[in-house]
Parts: sequence; structure tokens; C-alpha cells
Amino acid sequence: MFSALEIAARNLVQARRRTLLLGLAISLVAMLFLVLRSVSNSVGDRMVESATTLSAGHINVGGFFKPRKKGAAPILSDRQGIIDFVKAKVPEAVSVIDRGRSWGKIISPTASINAGISGIIFDEEKRFFNSLRLAPENEYVKDAKTNSFGNFDDLKQENTILLFAGQAKKLEVRVGDTVTLVTEATGGESNTVDLRVAAIASDIGFMSNFSVFVQRKTVTELNSNGENVTGVVMVYLDSHRDSQKVMERLYKDFKDAKYEMMEHDPKPFFAKFEKVMAEDWLGQKLDLTVWSDEISFVMWVTTALDFVSFFVVGILGLIIAGGIMNAMWMNVRERTKEIGTLRAMGAQKGFIVRVFMFESILLGLFASSIGAFIAAAGLMILNSLKLPITSDGIRLFLMANTISINVNFSQIIQTLIVFSFITGLASLYPALKAAKLRPVEALMQTK
Amino acid sequence: MKFNLLVLSICLSQMQLAFSLSEKETQNLVSLVDSKQRNQGDYSSLVFIDQKEKNGISKAFEARVYRRDADQKWMILFTKPKAEAGKGYLRVDKNLFLYEPALGKWDRQTERASIGGTNSRRDDLDESRLAAEYDAKWINDETLGKFKVHHLKLSVKAGIDVASPVVELWIDVDSKNILKRQEFALSAKLMRTSYYPSWEKMFSKSKNADVFVPKEIRVFDEIEKGNSTTVVLREVKLDPLEENIFTKAWLEKQSR
Repeated sequence: MFSALEIAARNLVQARRRTLLLGLAISLVAMLFLVLRSVSNSVGDRMVESATTLSAGHINVGGFFKPRKKGAAPILSDRQGIIDFVKAKVPEAVSVIDRGRSWGKIISPTASINAGISGIIFDEEKRFFNSLRLAPENEYVKDAKTNSFGNFDDLKQENTILLFAGQAKKLEVRVGDTVTLVTEATGGESNTVDLRVAAIASDIGFMSNFSVFVQRKTVTELNSNGENVTGVVMVYLDSHRDSQKVMERLYKDFKDAKYEMMEHDPKPFFAKFEKVMAEDWLGQKLDLTVWSDEISFVMWVTTALDFVSFFVVGILGLIIAGGIMNAMWMNVRERTKEIGTLRAMGAQKGFIVRVFMFESILLGLFASSIGAFIAAAGLMILNSLKLPITSDGIRLFLMANTISINVNFSQIIQTLIVFSFITGLASLYPALKAAKLRPVEALMQTK
Repeated sequence: MKFNLLVLSICLSQMQLAFSLSEKETQNLVSLVDSKQRNQGDYSSLVFIDQKEKNGISKAFEARVYRRDADQKWMILFTKPKAEAGKGYLRVDKNLFLYEPALGKWDRQTERASIGGTNSRRDDLDESRLAAEYDAKWINDETLGKFKVHHLKLSVKAGIDVASPVVELWIDVDSKNILKRQEFALSAKLMRTSYYPSWEKMFSKSKNADVFVPKEIRVFDEIEKGNSTTVVLREVKLDPLEENIFTKAWLEKQSR
């Protein structure tokens, strides 16, 4: 084994020019592969972070209340009962909280924006506030300094609102200013409230453009709901990967406890309104979702990125495989005598196959290592620059307001494995051909 | 030259002062606006509310409004369309409740809640309490169409819950009736503009004097431009109402 590796390494050194050219091509494609995978992974991670911070728990117990056949409100009419049930049935939950939900228009003297309104209980939202940071004023006021104003604790005060930097910029407001929130209640009645901007947080991806946070009491009053009415009960687990499994178990528990349940539909609650409005039932039904269901409308971003990266890398991988196969053919032809000598000295066919395959795998491994190293270093430098993304389209696509692409160790290892495998596989056929050469014929062949 | 300009500017400022209303006169004017509308007894009327939205959707309601101004009690009971019949709002002890007959439940409402998803609100149809709720400031004397008007700015008094913290009024100099009203949010954003094109003079037995009631109110949404509501009041009666009318039980009974 070791001697086969040694011969393979010496062959690579001997054919320097070929090794360099093929290595460069492999490095470039490995670099591209790692960058695309990192972008896709970063977008995916940011989606989980944005979704589970802003609008969803790992599991969400929502639902609709239909007071009349052509009406539907996204509320839970027995808040405490459902919270108690969830806590009893999901003992592994890290936290169980609830939020009021509404949709409305936030109006400043100069502009207005539409946003989803979450009504929170401040003391229950440690996880949420831990993932926020106060935005420096220059994130929402042109040419301002980097000082941050406001305080998240001020959200404990009545009639206050938390905005994100992108929203504050559009509304042209600062901490301490007043905005007006206009909502439509379940019965179609509109309602308004004046709210003081208590804090402005840095954006959490593009999705923070659509979320504002107020006290739960504010949403309850605006929606004319009772104290035991809420929008959604959110369950957080140790890992978001367990969400689907626990949701399915909880769904069964609710059903066994005779709760009226909606069929699981992997869409956010606001995409279900029309369907529920048209349905012919009255009263309360529960709707269980996982975090990814609540952001399914933006999940196409990662799917598209994965498709593009596999398509591009697949094509380039085929070209590289062709190049390696060709190079190995040349190699076999150039070294026919050498193969004959090795075979005459007693080398088995398997040894010859190993020599050629190791040569190719070593080339793939070293070249992809260099490509992965350059890509990782480049991305780290790019991240440290914190370059802002000015285009709304790219912000939506990357789910971020600044360029930030995380590279993790497992992706680097994956890249090395993928490229070693591709190069190894490409050399298999020429290696088998080389092994099949009869020693006498090989020795007799002149160059 | 400079001296002449100075004299001119002093003269102009004196003229302005001559036309302006003092703080007391302004507050008295607002009190007069209230008292002209105040009945002191009971009130009932038939109300037609017609909401038109910019997307072409329109809603129309018929309802009965009941007031007992001495106790600040107020109620509106929807009678048409059929889907809304029996629905009602009741104000008792400064709390406003909405009754939904389909659910048989009462929900507390804020002062800013709209009536039936229109641009109209409880205070459009209730007794005028401007002097008690707002501090008034004279802005200017202007012309509104063919009417000479006093333009006032009202700011809510501390600790009082009203639908609009800042209101501007255009009051007819001759009749002292409101002709135009604009309502602002705390951020100074204009939210609604209302016009009062016609007023009706009625004799009130309980007051033993004339009372002015608006016959029509046109409300324009300044946020959703193009949305507007017309409120028409008919069959206004100032006779005493049943004693137990302002109760949840009475309103619930009407939907059975």
C-alpha cells in the first residue's frame, strides 16, 4: 500500500506540468463548490435563525377560530389550556411561549410600512432578546454616528414598539419618536394606537423587514380579544432538527385529547386564510406547524441555490473527470514499459490499479485542499469587511443585509471527499486498462 | 425705510391680534360648540353608514343609536344587513364593549376602534365633550368654501383617553357649528378628515332649548386614501328612553 502511494506521489512530482494544470482546474472547481455550498448553508442557517427568532418556534401551535362560516381569525381561544397541554406533552421543550398575532400598517409622519405584529410578554422572551442587538444609529439614519439609542427593557412600558433598522430607515424615525399602528380586528373593525419607539434593533436578515414587536396587551386590545386569547403557542427544543418528529407526536396527542385539528399543511398561517374562510365549520381548530412551514414561502431560495450549485459543479466536475481520464490515458501510454517492468517484477494487477488511482486521488485531494483553503480564507476576509448589500433582490436571496457567508469545517471535509472521489473514479477505467496489460507486450513496446 | 417697515410690521401684528381669539375666548367657543349639541336628556336616531373603499368594495349598515348624556351612556344596535343584525356596541362607565350575537360574547373595545369596519367611530355619534377632553388654541380665522370659520387646534388633556390626541376644527363663525374636523395621531400624522355639511335644529324638552344635531357626516380616511364613509342620521328623537336600555341584557335580547 505504502509503496503504491510513494510511486503515485513520485509520478505526480515527475509530471509537474500536467499535475499543475489539472490541479489548478480542480482547485478552481473545488473553490466554487465550497463557496456555493457555504452560501446555501449560510442562507439556510439564517432562515432558521430569522424564522425561530422572529416569527416561529421550532413547533407552532396555531389555529383558526371561525365565528361565522365566512369568517376566520388566526387565534387560539384557550391560551392557558393549550400552553398547559403542550408543557405536559412535550417535556423536552426548552421553552414554551405564546405571542399575539396581527397584521397592520405602521405609520410615521412621512411614510408607512406593512408588517406582521407580534404581541410579546417581555419576561418570557429572553431567547428573543438575547439574539437582538441595538442598532447603531447609522444603520437607520444617514451620516449618523455609531451610537446606539433606546433600551430593550423599555418595551416593558405600555404603548411601546420595537422596530428593526430597515423599518426605522423607511419610516424615518428614531428612538423616542411616535408611530401609529393601524390594524384590522377579527370582525373587520379597524383600530389604531399610538406607540413610542422604545428600541431599534439591527436587522436579522430580510425577514425582519416584515416583523414588529409590541406588548401582548397592545395586540389583545387592538384585536378586541379576551385575556385568554392568543395567536400562537411556540415551542423551542434543544435542536430544530427534532421539530418534525415532536410535532407529529404532539399532533397525535392533541387528536387523542379530542381537540379539533386541521390537516397538517406546510404553509405559514397567513397563507391558509382563504382556504379556512371557505371551509364549512364553526368554532376552534388547531393547526400545528414546524419552523420551516412558517417560512416555506422563502425556502425556494435554498432549493434554488442547491440546484444551481449542483448543476454548475456537476458540469465542471464532468469536465474535470474527462480531463483526468484523458491525462491518465496518456500516463498509461507513456508508462507502458514501466508497467511491464513492475508486472515482470511480480507486481499484481491490483497494485497497478492502486498506483494509478492513488495518483489521481492524491492530485484531487491536494488540489481541492488548496482550493478549499483559498475559498475559506477569501470568505473569512469578505465576512470581516461586513460589506452592506444594497440591492433588495440580493438581500432577499441571501437573507442578509451585509455579506456574511459562514464556512464550517464539515463543508471543507465534504469538498475534499467529493473531489478525491471524483478524481479517483475518473482514473478507474485507465487504471484497469493499465493493469490488464500483459507484461511481455508492455516490455516489448517502444515509446 | 427701515422705520417704515418696522411700523408696518407692528401695525400688521396688531391687526392680527385684533382678529385672533384669546385663550379664554377659544375655550368658550369650544364650550359653546359642545353646549349647542348637548341635549342633557336621552337621544335616539336611525343611522345609515355607507363605507366606500378604494378597491370598489362598499359596505352599508343601518343601525339605531341611543344616548343618555347625563350618564355618558351610549349604544348602537345594528339592524341591517341581516348578517350584522343584532350586533351592537355599548358604552358604560367609560368602557366600550362590542357584542357579537353569532358568538354570544362581549369584547372590550378601545376608543379608537372603528364601527363595523368603517371609518366612523363611537365619538362621531356621541355627545360632544370637546371642552372637557381637550385644550383649545386658536390658529386662524379663515374661509372654508363660502363660510367664514374659526380654525382651532385641540390637544388632549393629560390622563384622558380619546380617539385622537390632536384635533383641528373649522367652526362656522355665524352658526358656531363644526364644518370640518381633522384628526391627528401623536406623531402629527393626519389620520381622518370629516365634513359636517348640514345641521338640524331641534327643540329639546329636557334642555328646554334648541339643540343642533348633524344630519350627515362625511369621513375621509387619510391613510387609505380613497376610503370614505358617509354617516346619515335620521329620525332623531330627544324623548326619554326606557330605563334599562343601556344594559348588556337589553342588547343581547334584541338579537334573539
